[in-house]
Amino acid sequence: MKKFNVLGIFLILLMVLAGCSTEKPAAAEPNAAPAETPVVEEPKEDEFNPQILFNGSSTLAPVMASISTNFIEGNVTWDKVDASFPEKNIAIYVSAGGSGQGVKSVIDQTSDFGMVARTVKDTEKEQLPELKEFKVGIDALTLGVNPNNPVLTVKNNLTKDEIIKIFSGEFKTWKDLDASLPDKEIIVVTRDIGGGAHEVFQSKVMGDVQVKADAIQAPSMGALVTKIIENEYAIGYASFGVVNQNIGKVTTLSVDGVEASEENIINGSYIIQRPLIAIFNGELTAPQQAFMDYVMSEEGLAVVESMGFVPVK
Amino acid sequence: MKEYKEKIFKSLITIGAILSSILVLLVFFYILKESIPFFREVQIKEYLFGDTWSPLGTEKYSFLPMILATLYVSFLAIFIATPLGVGCALFLSFHVNKKYTKILLSFIDMIAGIPSVIFGFVGLIILVKFLENNLNMATGESVLAGGMLLAVMLFPYIVTGCTETFEKGKMKYYTASLSLGVSKWYTMRKVMLPFGANSIFVNMLLAFSRAMGETMAVMMVTGNSPIFPRLLGRAETIPSLIALEMGTSTYKSIHYSSLYAAGLILIIIILIIQFIAHKINKIGSR
Repeated sequence: MKKFNVLGIFLILLMVLAGCSTEKPAAAEPNAAPAETPVVEEPKEDEFNPQILFNGSSTLAPVMASISTNFIEGNVTWDKVDASFPEKNIAIYVSAGGSGQGVKSVIDQTSDFGMVARTVKDTEKEQLPELKEFKVGIDALTLGVNPNNPVLTVKNNLTKDEIIKIFSGEFKTWKDLDASLPDKEIIVVTRDIGGGAHEVFQSKVMGDVQVKADAIQAPSMGALVTKIIENEYAIGYASFGVVNQNIGKVTTLSVDGVEASEENIINGSYIIQRPLIAIFNGELTAPQQAFMDYVMSEEGLAVVESMGFVPVK
Repeated sequence: MKEYKEKIFKSLITIGAILSSILVLLVFFYILKESIPFFREVQIKEYLFGDTWSPLGTEKYSFLPMILATLYVSFLAIFIATPLGVGCALFLSFHVNKKYTKILLSFIDMIAGIPSVIFGFVGLIILVKFLENNLNMATGESVLAGGMLLAVMLFPYIVTGCTETFEKGKMKYYTASLSLGVSKWYTMRKVMLPFGANSIFVNMLLAFSRAMGETMAVMMVTGNSPIFPRLLGRAETIPSLIALEMGTSTYKSIHYSSLYAAGLILIIIILIIQFIAHKINKIGSR
């Protein structure tokens, strides 16, 4: 019996150690990249890093994950991508945690690329001296309502002023918006107030006016759209991509007479939009460059489009 | 040889104990360190007694609505779960064949193993919808929904803890009580409940501190509006606040630091509760 105990403790310790060892390369690996630069003429094969790490925006993460899956399945090892690369398995890891975390992970060097679904702020740029931005696509926020919402019988367009009044709580019920509508509370659904989506909405529509405090904060874009699908009297800013995945269940309203169409988003006349960017600090290594070339290629942009976002050509 | 083995074993467990206690301290100090800029910048009057949480707009940082919401949702959950849990434990200890008690208990324990996001999902689709349809609410996300959902999640903790106590009490007093000719129901009410009162209370406190930390399930059904909580109104708990805003706050900003501060406040409240539970347990076991 005692032997088993000792064995058990050893096993636990082994697991702890194993846990440490898997974590270490991830943390140490980005540090290795800057160390590479001073030694210019050294043969790079020894330091070839088959891993690329992405972290950041939960909007962009599924797109990147899907592109990298295609890339890995199409090539498997790096030597298939480019004959000068060694025969090592391609490993691209994508994790989501929000735009802010995407920037933070690049500053901390816990990931190679950050994914950001907004423009990079000046305060952030100060901490990223060699910032490179790769604009992968555009995401627009549409004003989504339930297809059964009575507002659709009256109008399919909201002016910016009306939107501000709805989201700030000045219009409490749908009746306040139009006298012929029922006296039902307007359920405003937003994303988290610190998030990339809300920031875009705040700057493009609300300006200095605050969104009312009793709005529902949805933890993800999916949850926000689900709320609109579930509740007849809800309104929220739904991502263009997610709305396209739920055609028929969510109806979008025009803003100031401009419909949220792909054409209007690209030419900029539809104002509530945000860029989807991959950011990098420093010089890209050859494999990183090879992958980003693939992301920006026709194949990569096709994935962006299939996920419902607007690719930048 | 044996001595040698024992020495290795002893040093191994010592290392384990030291490592885990260091880990706890590290977490605590890291949170403390990250929240210091916030405590320097914002006055206690504002973050404990203010009424608005608007870190990006008007830059008002008040945790009060969130602290109250966390307490409200957790109290409500305990309020619902305790009578049910104690009843269930009494039933399992006195009315069911011992063989079946084990099977039933393992089923109840399984509730504790269900991932909280599953609870949240069921809550969002069924509970929130149910409240919307039956209470004539504009939208079902509310403190009530959070409390009801949490009650289900706390149920196994209370049942398991109380069953253990009642089994102990049964061994001690049950035969004596029956041989005095007292009925089973009387024994339960007048002997077992007073005997277990202390332990029931401790279990409640422990379940309460667990409830306060629950994030995902609560976040999905309470609506997350940083306003003062009402039973049928929306609310945002501290864990939901941190989970929602941590990923997107700008690194090293006051907003970022304030979320660590919120976490610190949550830890302190839970530590106080644990301390009280520990004290009561000590008094009870004397």
